[in-house]
Amino acid sequence: MVLIKLFFIFAKIGLLGFGGGYSIITMIQKELMALGWITAEEYANIAAISQMTPGPIAVNAATYVGYRVGGFWGSVLATLGVSLPSFVLVILAAHFILKFKESKAVEACMKGIRPVTVALIASACIFFAVESFVDLNLPLYINPGAFAIFVLAILASTLLKMDTILIIILSAVLGLVIL
Amino acid sequence: MKKTNSKVLWDLFFTFFKIGTFTIGGGLAMLPVIEREIVDKKGYINKEEIVDAFAVSQSLPGVIAINSAIYVGYRIAGFIGALVAVLGVVLPSFIIILLIAVLFSTVSGNPIIDKALTGAKAGIAGVIAFAVVRLGKRIIRDIFSLVLAVAAFIVAFLFDINIALIIILGALSGFVFYRLRGDKEKWF
Repeated sequence: MVLIKLFFIFAKIGLLGFGGGYSIITMIQKELMALGWITAEEYANIAAISQMTPGPIAVNAATYVGYRVGGFWGSVLATLGVSLPSFVLVILAAHFILKFKESKAVEACMKGIRPVTVALIASACIFFAVESFVDLNLPLYINPGAFAIFVLAILASTLLKMDTILIIILSAVLGLVIL
Repeated sequence: MKKTNSKVLWDLFFTFFKIGTFTIGGGLAMLPVIEREIVDKKGYINKEEIVDAFAVSQSLPGVIAINSAIYVGYRIAGFIGALVAVLGVVLPSFIIILLIAVLFSTVSGNPIIDKALTGAKAGIAGVIAFAVVRLGKRIIRDIFSLVLAVAAFIVAFLFDINIALIIILGALSGFVFYRLRGDKEKWF
């Protein structure tokens, strides 16, 4: 029963997860936390690990969450679920590529969806901030070390144009040293 | 005929397996690697087609890496090609994450690991903050998109309304807004 539910939840995420990894991370988080299948801390750890290991972030997260919730078959079904809608949609799009590219209806819908994905990615940012340097039980408290890493990561992406993965790995090392 | 076919399928599988193994950082990081392997090295499809593949992969829902594997696999060898390419791109992360999941339950709670993870999460918050600004500059360019983004953020963050519903509402408002405003030809 849990396995079937897991499959359908990830199929839903695959069907409606626009805008790639960062916005899909928010979808998985909201869906699974609403069911009480996973805690915020555990999910934040999963999502952090998913970004430091090879492979698509959403597949990594699906595999990990699936394993935690339903063992080996849980991870198989979660990964299958998240890929299945893509098979249908992408193959249809490949057939109708010219119509797809020129369709004003598709473009209008996309113009509505894109701002939503920006909002989803912004909430992913806040989720990670809360899990690393904000404590919701202690309002106005900010962990200074973790906050410093956050600021350094922003500077490294804007000023140094440093590679994302390198920034995350350096942040982990810095966390080891100063936290 | 049959022989060359299975050779192409193996080649597709291994190419995408390699892409899945060696690109860290998710779908967008994979796109240039896919282009190098599939277009430049193997010449399976041409430059123009890979542009279409990437446009479709990014505008459709789903995992970008999986979408592009399906598109490229399908164009080269039909449905079986799509299946083989997806298997190739997914298998490495599946194996690696499964190993980590098994190991992690034994090391979580370890203070050293926790410090590293807290550092990584703070860094990820920074990286994503940058992504929000960069994407926002490109996508939020008029009042309509600004209102939509702010509304979606408030609704998703404060009211905990199902995200799937918010996305569908976003698509609907885009459709209605541009339909009311735009020209009436070539809509479907």
